Amino acid sequence: MTAIRAPGRHAAGPVSQVPCAGHPRASVAATGAGIGLRARHYREFLDTWPPTGWLEVHSENYFGDGGYDLHVLDHVRDRYPLSLHGVGLALGSTRDDPRVERHLSMLKRLVERSRPALVSEHLCWGAQGGRHFNDLLPLPYTREALDHMVDRVERVQEALEREILIENISAYVEWKAAEMCEFEFLAELARRSGCGILLDVNNLHVNAVNHGTDPHVAMAALPRASVREIHLAGHLVTEDGLIDDHGSRVAPAVWALYDAALARFGPVPTLIEWDTDVPALGVLLDEAARAGARLEHWRA
Amino acid sequence: MPELFQLQRLFAGALASRAAADAALPAFAGDPAKTARRLAIYRGNVHANAGKALRAAYPVVAALVGEEFFQGLARAYSEAIVSRSGDLNEYGAEFTRFLADFPHTQDLPYLPDVARLEWAVHLAHYAADREPLNPARLAGFAQEHQPALRFRLHPACVLLTSRWPIARIWEVHQADHTGAFDVDMDCGMERALVFRPGFRVRVRSLGPAEHVFLSALARRQTLADALQAALAVEAAFGLQETLIRLIGESVIVEVELQ
Repeated sequence: MTAIRAPGRHAAGPVSQVPCAGHPRASVAATGAGIGLRARHYREFLDTWPPTGWLEVHSENYFGDGGYDLHVLDHVRDRYPLSLHGVGLALGSTRDDPRVERHLSMLKRLVERSRPALVSEHLCWGAQGGRHFNDLLPLPYTREALDHMVDRVERVQEALEREILIENISAYVEWKAAEMCEFEFLAELARRSGCGILLDVNNLHVNAVNHGTDPHVAMAALPRASVREIHLAGHLVTEDGLIDDHGSRVAPAVWALYDAALARFGPVPTLIEWDTDVPALGVLLDEAARAGARLEHWRA
Repeated sequence: MPELFQLQRLFAGALASRAAADAALPAFAGDPAKTARRLAIYRGNVHANAGKALRAAYPVVAALVGEEFFQGLARAYSEAIVSRSGDLNEYGAEFTRFLADFPHTQDLPYLPDVARLEWAVHLAHYAADREPLNPARLAGFAQEHQPALRFRLHPACVLLTSRWPIARIWEVHQADHTGAFDVDMDCGMERALVFRPGFRVRVRSLGPAEHVFLSALARRQTLADALQAALAVEAAFGLQETLIRLIGESVIVEVELQ
């Protein structure tokens, strides 16, 4: 066998792009208006570092062991406060499935790596009998469901060793079994588990229109200090009601409701969500600037 | 049974079939006709979300069958194979097996193997990062120790074989592909390597000797044994250039003497 010679310079491997894992990073608080970071905007972010108050990502898209998504996340989180928004824990599901523990351990790993300012999930269920529907399904707002959610949220907060926020969802149907409204349920969940609330103003509007409820009464049910983040998004108007598709600019009625939310809860960090037909980055930044102007008004 | 469990079971049924949805209507407030239409929205969402995840993982299969056909294919898959994870990036692992039995794509016999390659590419995207190996490390071992060296491959690396030219099919369907689009379907046995230098997943076809060599290294055989196996396939196998290439491509990322 011939000896192996040291190769010439041309054969050297690429420069290291592996981030320094384990490097301690402090969380920076999210303030003002932020946008969701989506893969189609990665390159633009890394090239131009556009001005935005903070960034939110879907946690599950960063559950890998490594790769480009985490690489980008490592870089942006050094420049912007970060929020991890989960869509897959399906907290209200009654199943006791090992996959839930696995999902939680993946989230924990990501939280430890990225040290986010905010971590959030939804007031929903989504799995049964080993099957995951990968959708945010409405809970019956009963005392039994409340006990269950309190237990689940406490387990997540213990595992992550931090507070999480729980978001109100858009729901196309309402359970007859409900013993309270969604926001009474959410307020009680926050009081008992110590979680914060992510108020999605678009979902609030969608549900108010779809179910004929008063969104202002709903907001009044939430303690002022419990709301730590607000979501704004576009929705779709159909014959069967409003559909929360995150596929357009924020509607005028939602901006009006947002003003009322800021009057009640103060200048809470606000995110522009856009998941369907994600537009050019400039459009997202423009929507965020509109939210930012309103936040400034209430901060002054 | 607790009521919460029962109500969720009712909803789960409504997501599975329209008949079950009709039976569940009395559990919901408001106009039953409107509730029925709204439950149909949820039913549609389950398949739409699963379909989007499948489409993201299998762009080449979608290009081969056409977007419209793929939508139908995704619907058939999501009706047959349920999601088990809250992370939709894990959905689609059984697509290869599904395609092998799917009656309407039997005229595209290479489709299951292309799907197998795409799933390996999908997983490679999320594989752990590794520092590239400095090739000088190899020369640092004394000559008498070199035959006993063992190697570690990058966690993204996968070796696949097929009777179809899957690496070539994959290559011509990449957005940045600029060369000819011809694919010789009768090229014989394909030995495809999925690898990830930096963050971009690549696929290339291996020669028979290189495949035997790399397979041996992947099984943690010594350099001497891997070389012997490669030389048995091809007497002119070039060890030096093969090692340099595999290190440069971040296929080999660690070398050790045991």
